[in-house]
Amino acid sequence: MFLYYVDLAWRSIKKTPVLSLLMVLAISIGIGITITTLNVYSMMSFNPAGERSDRLNAIQLWSQGVNSWDEYHSLVTYQDVMNLRQSGIPKAQAAMFRTGAAVQTDDPEFVPILRGIRVTDSGFFSLFSVPFLYGGAWDKSVDSDPQYQLVIGEKLNQSLFGGENSVGKTVYLNRKPYHVVGVIKEWNPQPKYYDPLNGAFNSAEQLFVPFSLTPIEEFDVWGNSSGWKFEPMTGYQSRLNSEKVWLEFWVDLPSEESRSAYRSFLSHYVEQQKQLNRFTDDKAAADSVQLSNVAEWLEMNNVVPEDNKILVGLSALFLCVCLVNILGLMLTKFLKRAPEVGVRRAIGASRGQIFAQYMVEVGVIGLFGGLLGLLWAWLALYSLSAKFDVADGLTNLSMSMWVITPSIAVGTALLAGLYPAWVVCRTKPSVYLKSQ
Amino acid sequence: MLNIKPILSTLMRSKSGPVLLLLQIILSVAIVANASFIIHERLGMMQRDSGIVESEILTFNMYNFDPSIDRVQQNQLDQQLLRNLPNVMAATSTNMLPLSGSGWSSTLNLGPDSETAQSTPQFAMYLGTEHTLETLGLKLIDGRNFYPDEINTSLTASGKLAIVSKALVDATWPNESALGKVLYEGEDTQITIIGVVEKLQGAWIDSGDLEYSVIQNVDWGGRSYLVRALPQHHAELKQAITDVMLKENPNRVIDDFQSIKAVKESSYRDHQLMVTVLSMMVVLLLLITSLGLTGMVMFNIQRRTKQIGTRRALGATKADILSLFLTENYIICVVGGVLGGGLAVLLGQQLMQHYDLPQLDLLYPIMTVLGLLLVTTVAVVLPARKAANISPAMATRSV
Repeated sequence: MFLYYVDLAWRSIKKTPVLSLLMVLAISIGIGITITTLNVYSMMSFNPAGERSDRLNAIQLWSQGVNSWDEYHSLVTYQDVMNLRQSGIPKAQAAMFRTGAAVQTDDPEFVPILRGIRVTDSGFFSLFSVPFLYGGAWDKSVDSDPQYQLVIGEKLNQSLFGGENSVGKTVYLNRKPYHVVGVIKEWNPQPKYYDPLNGAFNSAEQLFVPFSLTPIEEFDVWGNSSGWKFEPMTGYQSRLNSEKVWLEFWVDLPSEESRSAYRSFLSHYVEQQKQLNRFTDDKAAADSVQLSNVAEWLEMNNVVPEDNKILVGLSALFLCVCLVNILGLMLTKFLKRAPEVGVRRAIGASRGQIFAQYMVEVGVIGLFGGLLGLLWAWLALYSLSAKFDVADGLTNLSMSMWVITPSIAVGTALLAGLYPAWVVCRTKPSVYLKSQ
Repeated sequence: MLNIKPILSTLMRSKSGPVLLLLQIILSVAIVANASFIIHERLGMMQRDSGIVESEILTFNMYNFDPSIDRVQQNQLDQQLLRNLPNVMAATSTNMLPLSGSGWSSTLNLGPDSETAQSTPQFAMYLGTEHTLETLGLKLIDGRNFYPDEINTSLTASGKLAIVSKALVDATWPNESALGKVLYEGEDTQITIIGVVEKLQGAWIDSGDLEYSVIQNVDWGGRSYLVRALPQHHAELKQAITDVMLKENPNRVIDDFQSIKAVKESSYRDHQLMVTVLSMMVVLLLLITSLGLTGMVMFNIQRRTKQIGTRRALGATKADILSLFLTENYIICVVGGVLGGGLAVLLGQQLMQHYDLPQLDLLYPIMTVLGLLLVTTVAVVLPARKAANISPAMATRSV
């Protein structure tokens, strides 16, 4: 019966090509716009940590004085990080910031290149489930006992060493030799959740060096440093001793118990610092710490821009307009065929059958509209990435859209078809038989 | 003359079609009004004058990684080399790029006691040399430029001077001359204002403090350089600069050549994107609405062929028939426009509450309704002309 209805629908569509085309166009444009904005939105609001989202926590401290910042800063001070790193509660932990240096190899022909570098702890790699191609992270002891070791990304390994196992080789950063201990497999989480502050959709760094080298090597800070009071900066040491915030600190707390244990460790720490005349604001110690899991962290750092939310809302409204539009067109079309329905009813078709027949027709139109809409969305995303340099990760039509789009399209069409089909199935056969 | 009453009663008889049309118009007005408002706001942002000669300024980064060099001397030598290059009009070091979205910002106190003193609004803190004004193409409207011997090479040196933007002067000392005024950084560090430029934007285009800028007399030897040259010379200059700099000292990486115009475009790209998507939405929405309307009118004409024929037989002119359909359309449009305008304002309030958008200007719903009247007139007249051509004979033939 279904196939018969599909056949009827196809005939009916062919009979009124212009009106049908109008309907398909209306649906497809509505769907195209909605899917385009929805796709970008879903890519931006993606949580790369997946099920580990709750265990990974970024630490924030209310280290500012009275009457200064009225919100938590996303970054923390060097002295706090050094103190918090003493705790044994987290399964893994990592302080981090971004720097950069000129990269060279033993090859004298190699033209030095300037690259961004993540300065972090060995815990970084297990925290963020970084996959290794060769070797692994530097030893945990390096976090307290600095060694000139580094981990590089697959791409950089390709350009420096032609892609071979480079563990044990030497890379020069600003002419200082570092030993490669690990090569990361292609890894580029989008959004860049471990550091959304310096461009949430920038690529992951290709170089990682031990955080413990910071006071020795005095790495430049390629990121924000903020202070809530004036502190003269006379050298790197004054930065390390200052109240300026410039570091991110992540911990892995796998269970609820470890989270509450760590929370009390933190408030105990704040208490202690208050006695040392830091954390001078009159907030209670327990309220001066904030742990944010990945989902909260992404939300807090406004990874999804407001504009994007506005666009999704407007395009949903746009789809509503399309829905009303096809509803009108559908009603027009179905009422035109009321005489035909009259005849079918007279020779025995039930109301339910008429209703089903028209719903199938609507569904077919919706499906065409959905497929065409997918094409529009693909074209729109393609031109966006070409013209506006939007990050590639955002403009790839996600696989789920191949299912979602036709569903929304058919759903919209069926919704729009309900009323017209209902009106037409209530046609009284007598009226039309009489007038023919 | 317009016979509104019989038209109204026709509309009331078969409600579903007009109601749907009404609904569509209400939604369209709400969307189009808000979208065009956002578009207008963003375009306004993009057209602001930055005060600098964006397209003539070429910037690049120079990263020295030789630990043994004397950075101060190297920096001064490098700038001299830059200025000696052919076609270079001016060149200077800088700590930040205008309109780039990253840089230094600060506030300073107006008095020595940081507890009681008032402070300036947040401003962009440029560090520059006596060549900065010429390189950026800034217009000095008061006071003077730095003298060459006043340029410091570190932030902690004494004798701090500043050239500030007029907007900052107006916000800090309304109706006063800023020359000779002193700004305090902590308790002991004083910065004296020696000049005012007409306009200089900072780095953060979405900030309310974009117009507030300060240039300090510090030759920030290090990373970023600004070179002023006509745009047609930029391509050859990129090569020339790289060659000269590497010849002088090979232990450095020179990259990120771009004009400030390109920097600006990439900063405004998200707004440009928003404008493009929203404009597309507005055009498509009007298209869909008018296509829907055309379809509906066509159907109505077919259904009312006899009625129209009878009217024509009873003496209605072609113009009467046309005005019948137009009046019908206008009634729906006006009612829809008023309701839609109300919805637009509601939507605008929601947007303003949840997002960082200003209050919707009432002009936009009104303009949208006027635009809609125009578009729908076309959408109605085209099929209605056909209706007007129905001959009176049609009415009698099939009865």
